[in-house]
Amino acid sequence: MHDGSVVQVKSRPVIDRLGIAMRASHVLVVLFVIGGIVFAAIGTAMGDTFFLRLATEALIFAGLALSVDILLGYTGLLSLGQALYFGLGAYVSAVVLKQIPSFWAAMAAVLLVSLVVGFAAGLIANRVRGVYFALVTFGLAQVVAKAIYNTRALGASDGLIGVPIVPVDFGVVTVMSNAPAGFFLVTLGVIVILYAISGYLLDTPFGRVLIALRANERRVPFLGYSTRNARLAAYVIAAVVAALSGALYPMLRGFVSPELLFFSTSGNAVITVVIGGVGTLAGALYGGVILTVLKSVVGSMTENHLIVIGLLFMAVVIFLPKGLMGLARPQIERLLGREAR
Amino acid sequence: MTELLEYIQFVLAPQMITGLALGIAVVLVALGLTIIFGLLDVINMAHGEFYAVGAYVALALGASGVSFWLLLVIVPLIMVPIGYAVERGLIQRVFNTPDRHVTTLLLTFGLGLVIEEALKIVFGPNTQRPPTPIPGAIEVMGVILPIYRLFLIVVGAAIVAAVAIVINMTRLGAIVRAAAFDRNMAASLGVPVKQVFAGTFAFGVALAGLAGVLLAPIYSVFPTMGRDFIFLAFTVVIVGGMGSIAGAVVAGLLITQVQALSSLVVSPVWSDPIVFGIMVLVLVIRPQGLFGRLGHA
Amino acid sequence: MTRTTIILASLLATTALTAPAIAADPIKIGVVTPLSGTYTPIGQQVRWGLELATKEVNAAGGIVGRQIELIFEDEEANPSVAVQKAEKLFEVQKVDFLTGTVNSGSTLAVGQTAERAGKLIATTVSFADSITGDKCSPNVFRVNARAGQQSAALAAWVAKQKPKAKVFFLGPDYEMGRSTVAAFKKAVEGLGAESVGEVFAPLDSKDYTQYFGQLRQAKPEVLYTSVAGNDTVRLLTQMQDFGLAKNLLIVGASGTVTSQNVSAIGVAAEGFGTGVGYSTQIDNAENKKFVEAFKAANKADPDLYGADSYGLIYFYKAAVEKAKSTETDKVREAMRGLEWMTPQGKKTMRAGDHQAIQPMYVVRVTSGQFKIVGNVSGEEAIGADDCKRF
Repeated sequence: MHDGSVVQVKSRPVIDRLGIAMRASHVLVVLFVIGGIVFAAIGTAMGDTFFLRLATEALIFAGLALSVDILLGYTGLLSLGQALYFGLGAYVSAVVLKQIPSFWAAMAAVLLVSLVVGFAAGLIANRVRGVYFALVTFGLAQVVAKAIYNTRALGASDGLIGVPIVPVDFGVVTVMSNAPAGFFLVTLGVIVILYAISGYLLDTPFGRVLIALRANERRVPFLGYSTRNARLAAYVIAAVVAALSGALYPMLRGFVSPELLFFSTSGNAVITVVIGGVGTLAGALYGGVILTVLKSVVGSMTENHLIVIGLLFMAVVIFLPKGLMGLARPQIERLLGREAR
Repeated sequence: MTELLEYIQFVLAPQMITGLALGIAVVLVALGLTIIFGLLDVINMAHGEFYAVGAYVALALGASGVSFWLLLVIVPLIMVPIGYAVERGLIQRVFNTPDRHVTTLLLTFGLGLVIEEALKIVFGPNTQRPPTPIPGAIEVMGVILPIYRLFLIVVGAAIVAAVAIVINMTRLGAIVRAAAFDRNMAASLGVPVKQVFAGTFAFGVALAGLAGVLLAPIYSVFPTMGRDFIFLAFTVVIVGGMGSIAGAVVAGLLITQVQALSSLVVSPVWSDPIVFGIMVLVLVIRPQGLFGRLGHA
Repeated sequence: MTRTTIILASLLATTALTAPAIAADPIKIGVVTPLSGTYTPIGQQVRWGLELATKEVNAAGGIVGRQIELIFEDEEANPSVAVQKAEKLFEVQKVDFLTGTVNSGSTLAVGQTAERAGKLIATTVSFADSITGDKCSPNVFRVNARAGQQSAALAAWVAKQKPKAKVFFLGPDYEMGRSTVAAFKKAVEGLGAESVGEVFAPLDSKDYTQYFGQLRQAKPEVLYTSVAGNDTVRLLTQMQDFGLAKNLLIVGASGTVTSQNVSAIGVAAEGFGTGVGYSTQIDNAENKKFVEAFKAANKADPDLYGADSYGLIYFYKAAVEKAKSTETDKVREAMRGLEWMTPQGKKTMRAGDHQAIQPMYVVRVTSGQFKIVGNVSGEEAIGADDCKRF
């Protein structure tokens, strides 16, 4: 029986598929940044204001989409009310800027507020999942939107105008928030940093727990991980990402209004993520740009643009469930995979 | 003492009765939603838009002379093939993906957008209103109540009872419940599961359309009307228990009564937050709702 | 041919070659208005009014020989979208002037954008007092009547109809709703009426019957409401169903019952009174011509939004002709104090706050038509100049 010989099993190196997928996203984002810089250069050369600002706005809303993807793509939770944090960030930023026109003060205030509110709301929202989670997040956003809508001090239904133009001081260079190319690059930087932080966190063991949650939540505790803490952490991160993105909005446009918290804002973010590609993070960025361009172009052609976008969205859900990134990433993953061996 | 009695007679009682009429309306809308979820495990975010389609079809046919009573029968019949097609053509395609809940939610969300826009393109953005089928009001103990609203309460209750009987006491209902409970087993017993699913979806959608016909004279017809009820309908379904007919009825009536009575004491602004609060409370304390799921014990 | 003929012929030839080149450069007016969503009916009227006036002005030779070109963008009743589209129109299409915003949030935000872009805008719909009041802007003009003007006219009429009446207020719960109720309340209390209750219903309420208990308890003689669109249809028909409309004088803001929702309200709108800047029944030649042309082009009656938008084109035309230029500063100067003719009569643009002064009418819905039952002169209705920015 035991003749001493050992059966050699040819072992194949373990290919970390998730890691490769993440790296593929990073590659795509690097491409995105390069594209952005080129765009800014062209824009400045042509003396353009509108397209640079439009692109900046697209990036800001892409940040919101990013936060939706953190929840949907990784924890598997669909939030239909992420605009709550986006709008919260925008309002806090606007209020702070009107008193203290400092970029860093506004961002710091937003970070603090979103951590607190995200944590508190997360405690409620994370007791449920699936469609219940979607409805609870929807309801939360509606309630807060309504509260702001009826608060005179925050401008009520008319919103707040008069947010001043702020200097963004990096020590070596200062960019004014109304400089089209300059602020575009600042926004690009902020969004990419948010992407990088999210990407990093999701590639750690913590991130893998989240992915495990999405795959099969019941088994995770048996592996020794706490689902509650992981989900709460993911929710808070998503809240902070959304809020910091929203904080940039009044700097760009000089005003805030309650519509930023309405369902249409949350809904657009979901559409962006789905079209871009759920669970890729990069999809949120590309999706944001594509959707903005689409809306602008189709919107100028016909006033029935919503139906076009709705049909496109449905087509993507049915035929391209992995979104546009689903077309691009596998190619890159293959390249990276070959390198890994 | 007389002040209290007067209050009850002139303020409280009428408030409760109109709350009841609104409650029946909400139940009718929520009924289709809960059946669709209970059986198909599909969250139909376009449910409000099917309600709107029913109202518009009634408006269009009514304008060309079809009588209201005929509409009550015709409109649901028209909605059935529409619902069937949507289920077979769209929902079945994404049904077997692992993220089914999310995907169907997204798909029906997109469908809702498309239907709403389509209604706007076809019928125009202005509000329209079919005439009240049973005009006039009766006076009961000094309070005036429109006859149509009382009619609604009666008809609504009848419809709910009919649906409950069909689901619980007929063979068709048994088939539906079996397929809800265990799809594969039912299939191996010869139940045409795909058709049953599509048919049930169509039935739920037809109920929504019927609600649209009944409510159009009271709430008027405009392209975004689907959003009127949807949040409330979902809350009712959640509180009552997804898939439970009894739950939808009880929750629907209860929540609308709470809304009606609360508006007497607090500012109407709190109406939605209160409903939301109830939903969160139920989700936290008893996530499966008041009653169980369709087909399940 | 004689020498003179040759000279004349060549002169004619050169003018023929150069003339089209001068006339070719159109004046571009951007229109950012809701073309989708709940406010579409208003955006539709704005569009119809602007298009009709543009057609007329272009047919008569345009403004200083240049044709007007309207460029439409959908603001979806969302100030974020409005600002984005406005910036597109300013920077890409390089419009000379902008209009069309409907809700006050959009008007205020777009006004700020216009200031930063160095262009002028005008609103023909928003009636929040703040737009030409505490939130006024040197680049924003308003040609329609604001809430204060509407209340002044209406309150005077109500006080005459039912002196010292008990008034109940029911408004939609947002800025415009609350400020119109506040404005009317102040005006009518100043004339001796008594306020017996106030309720603010959320926008898009489907069932107003929950407020009927309070309404019945208060036993008012007059009900003032500033709901609009679908909400009006529901409120008035539900009130009628419940028999609450009997013996009650129902009045409201000018946007409450308009030609876009009056047919849906049907018989429940009968007797509704409002203070408004426009009615199809205004008896002058210009209005009759306008109503006919509007009906022919759109198969619908004009309402105040359509009429004010129509008048805007003529306002802009008069200003540019006076300034002899489309440059912002020159046009602004020309607009201040400008008087021009509209289907509503003569309007004057008050220099202090950029608010148009116009005669106000009290209108009562009679058999689906907006019959004029009273009027108030422009000076009486206009109210104080609250603008301190310039």
